[in-house]
Amino acid sequence: MPTFKLDGKEIPFEPGDSIIRAAARQGIEIPHYCYHPGLSVPANCRMCLVEVKPAANQRAMMLDIVEWDAALGDYRPVQKPKLQPSCQLPAVEGQEVLSDTSKHVLEARADVQEFLLLNHPVDCPICDQAGECKLQDYWLDHQKTQKRMRDEPVHKPKAVVFGPTIVYDAERCVMCTRCIRFMDEVAKDPVLDMRERGNLNEVFVAPGRQLEGHYTFMTEHVCPVGALTTKDFRFKARVWFLRSAKSVCQGCATGCNAHLDYDPRYNKAYRYRPRDNEAVNKYWMCDGGMLSYRAAHVGRVTAAKVKNKKVANDAAVAEITKRLSDAPSDGIAFVLSAQHSLEDNWALRELARLAQGGKKDLRVYVTGAGPGYKDDILIDEDKNPNTAGVVELFPTLRPFPQLIDEIRAGKVSHVVALGGVTPRNDPEDATALAMVSTLIVVAAHEGALTEAAHVVLPATSWAEHSGTYVNRQSLRQRSDKALEPQGASRPAWEQLRAIAVALGLEPTWTKLKDIRAQLAPTSAEPQAAPVGVPQGKPSVAPPTAP
Amino acid sequence: MLKQTNYLTKVYGLPEGWTLATYEREARGYQAARKVLTTMSPADVVNEAKKANIRGRGGAGFPMGVKWSFMRPHPTKPAYLVINADEGEPGTHKDRTLMELNPHACVEGCIIGCYAIGAHAAYIYVRDELHLSKARLWGAIKEAKAKGYLGKNPFGKDYPVEVYVHTGAGAYICGEETSLLNSLEGKRGEPRLKPPFPAQAGAFGCPTTVNNLETIAAVPTAFNLGCEEFSKLSSIHHLNDGGVRLFGVNGHVKKPGVYECCVGLTLRELIYDLGGGLLDDKALHSVIPGGSSTPVLRAEDVVHAPDEKSPLHAWHGKSVLDVPLGVDTFRNMGTMLGTCCATVMAEGTDPVACFHNLMQFYRHESCGQCTPCREGSGWLLRIAEKLMDGTCSMDELNTLHDVANGIMGNTICAFGEGTAMPALGYLKKFRKEFEAYVKGERKGKDARLAVGAWGQS
Ligand SMILES: Cc1cc2nc3c(=O)[nH]c(=O)nc-3n(C[C@H](O)[C@H](O)[C@H](O)COP(=O)(O)O)c2cc1C
Ligand code: SF4
Ligand code: SF4
Ligand code: SF4
Ligand code: FES
Repeated sequence: MPTFKLDGKEIPFEPGDSIIRAAARQGIEIPHYCYHPGLSVPANCRMCLVEVKPAANQRAMMLDIVEWDAALGDYRPVQKPKLQPSCQLPAVEGQEVLSDTSKHVLEARADVQEFLLLNHPVDCPICDQAGECKLQDYWLDHQKTQKRMRDEPVHKPKAVVFGPTIVYDAERCVMCTRCIRFMDEVAKDPVLDMRERGNLNEVFVAPGRQLEGHYTFMTEHVCPVGALTTKDFRFKARVWFLRSAKSVCQGCATGCNAHLDYDPRYNKAYRYRPRDNEAVNKYWMCDGGMLSYRAAHVGRVTAAKVKNKKVANDAAVAEITKRLSDAPSDGIAFVLSAQHSLEDNWALRELARLAQGGKKDLRVYVTGAGPGYKDDILIDEDKNPNTAGVVELFPTLRPFPQLIDEIRAGKVSHVVALGGVTPRNDPEDATALAMVSTLIVVAAHEGALTEAAHVVLPATSWAEHSGTYVNRQSLRQRSDKALEPQGASRPAWEQLRAIAVALGLEPTWTKLKDIRAQLAPTSAEPQAAPVGVPQGKPSVAPPTAP
Repeated sequence: MLKQTNYLTKVYGLPEGWTLATYEREARGYQAARKVLTTMSPADVVNEAKKANIRGRGGAGFPMGVKWSFMRPHPTKPAYLVINADEGEPGTHKDRTLMELNPHACVEGCIIGCYAIGAHAAYIYVRDELHLSKARLWGAIKEAKAKGYLGKNPFGKDYPVEVYVHTGAGAYICGEETSLLNSLEGKRGEPRLKPPFPAQAGAFGCPTTVNNLETIAAVPTAFNLGCEEFSKLSSIHHLNDGGVRLFGVNGHVKKPGVYECCVGLTLRELIYDLGGGLLDDKALHSVIPGGSSTPVLRAEDVVHAPDEKSPLHAWHGKSVLDVPLGVDTFRNMGTMLGTCCATVMAEGTDPVACFHNLMQFYRHESCGQCTPCREGSGWLLRIAEKLMDGTCSMDELNTLHDVANGIMGNTICAFGEGTAMPALGYLKKFRKEFEAYVKGERKGKDARLAVGAWGQS
């Protein structure tokens, strides 16, 4: 690999890399506002300026400036080299670049910082970005001087409602155009632009339009400062009290990688943020996915129920034992859920095997959410995070409508199901489900199945346990635990184990790691890039970006 | 050396001087284009043009022929010639006279330019308020077309050329060539990043040459005389600065205007011989040599060039007013030739008020794209306003050069330098006057920008 030198350190680069990108790959951050690895390069913030040493036979381009010489009582002419934006500058073999070791670069950064804060309202206490704002971080890293401009700053529109989800504050805006470029280049809806000129510039929404669609939250996410805020997160939390768990969005089969931010003091999830993964979601998530963190608290099953009456888990398990003891050995249907993790589904499949004594022809069905909107950006029509996972576990799965048909035909009298939701909202389904003599549901979320169930056991949601999900690319992705289990909920695999034990079976798993050890390894290992997706391009965003 | 010529301006005073008939009768109209298209290959034209040593008249002074030679045929895309007639630089008023009074020279230059660089279309970008300029250019295009000099077969040659006039809304930044291209394409007038340069990806992403209007209008004359002969008209031909050009003079002179001379004219000649000296025969205070972005020179400034290798050495120790107005001579004097239109200020003009006036302009015209220029131009004006108001502290005065230093070289386009250079120029040369404002010895309400017959302001 070719290399160049950054502050004396050899930096390998790929053809086409800019200096900033190649440095980021090595974990070296060159400060920046407008540069975003997933967007075009406007080089407008000028924070990333670096000094390039001229080649042996060339002279540096020098600029005439002045210094104030107090002793002399006059200006003294001095020169400085012309600096280059490292976001725009292509890496060149053997080139010597100075960043942190150039006095001129440090000066330029301090200047840009000072310029950016010149007319800034510094309303940090009431800004949601506080604590994760580049203006704050870079003031400390690159400026550290008092404000020299003591006059009233330029005033601009504040709390401008851009649309149903986003609010804009022009005074906090650093005019980096990231939001504009995101809407144009990624969301393919160029609804934002810049208007006015000079220090009156402001971002605006095309007349007659709103900032709307499936990717509005990303504008807030790419905004390096607090100029764009989401109505959802506005004035809800101080980010320094939040902790993050590496999560996988449960919204659809795309399986976008995400950070689930939660407050451990209240055991409460506050938001989702994309986690960069070049192979899956790059740097982005859709609006539905961004809001899906709410599912950690909304529509949850947190207590066991027998015939719709809350009971203790033990009592529910006893009821299950009673109801299943007289089940015909070929009359029990097991329903996996594309909404639950690989581990949960594996446990149910094992329970089926054990309960039916190694019979070959198991009745295994699948449920999950029905199809929905899709696009060619991120959103998949399959609204389940783990369809590929359940198919992998049990390739001869029978679809949910077949379960309904077979209940109607009297072939199924007992059902053990995972997950609450069913793929369609059909009143006939409810009638059919009411026909079975026993419906046992282990679920994290309410749905048609929990409604019809005779016994419900509460399962933890994806946010409360570690789980594996297989996305549409057959990529196994791990989602970490963020919250503590809510109410009486336990991981579904644990609840299924309790059922197995109560039935007198001998479960082959006690802990999560037992399941993981038995999960057949597949061609696609956790987090690996699938075939057909360019390899060698892990997250190129610096750890603090965006 | 004062040598007035009338190659470009012969038709200026004539009745119907802007018509094809006059142009052909008086100024060898379209002979150069005919010769070029019917007897020369495009490569020959570019080589010949280089010998003319026409330094770009838009401000940067880049050699025109060399710029033309950057154009390479693209396998699929057409090439364009774009003529920059935005002329927004304060104190600059030469291109307008050509458009109004000698539009055919512009059109003929476009035909030769298109042929040389492989373009079949030229766009002349004119600001909206110049109604007469646009009408005269369109009139010339129509006449040339009717004669068969433009269109499918100019001069019988199978090389189609069309010329269009494009109206801009009138923003200084749209004179910056890449901003102009954005504006031409119907986009917001913001400068583009370079590279790619216009020759690689210019108008509509196609290879493009951007020439100033006067640059292109000088081309027919160069080819009529023979390019080398044309270059030799200049007394600084040896500095690769050739031919004749338009010299503008404005401000506190008796005869402000535009004069055509051989390159090599000095400021003293421009101000006193052509401009008729200062109003009320006042003493000269200072002069901005070539548009507002070029740092100011004081009447008493002398050349400091002890180094024998300096192109200025010949004038070492002499007054700056006696140095030939050339691209390299003026660059080495710590200012620039710019657009070669000098703004003259008589004794009594207040330099701090001049500074304030300029900073108002730059604050207003910054496109706001990049941080140092957007915020820095506003800050410079803020301090200038406080100076004028008498509320500026010594600390703030001592901040001014820091602000300008922070803009210098750190921006996307040359507007940044165009703001910082004149700011630093005024500070360096008039620090005492600035201090007088801080100390309250001078006051904004007494400051004068105009003198004599024009009254006070
Ligand atoms: C802020 C700014 C304004 C400019 N305005 C003009 C202008 O009004 N007319 C012009 O010809 N060039 C202007 N220029 C210079 C152009 O960018 C470009 O260099 C010129 O048009 C090239 O033509 P030339 O080589 O024939 O001079 C401007 C440059 C800057 C940075
Ligand atoms: S709103 Fe944010 S992302 Fe958009 S231009 Fe302003 S600072 Fe940049
Ligand atoms: S595309 Fe799918 S996985 Fe990605 S954020 Fe949206 S709903 Fe979640
Ligand atoms: S230097 Fe000024 S005019 Fe040029 S791109 Fe930057 S903000 Fe715009
Ligand atoms: S990151 Fe903004 S100029 Fe490079």
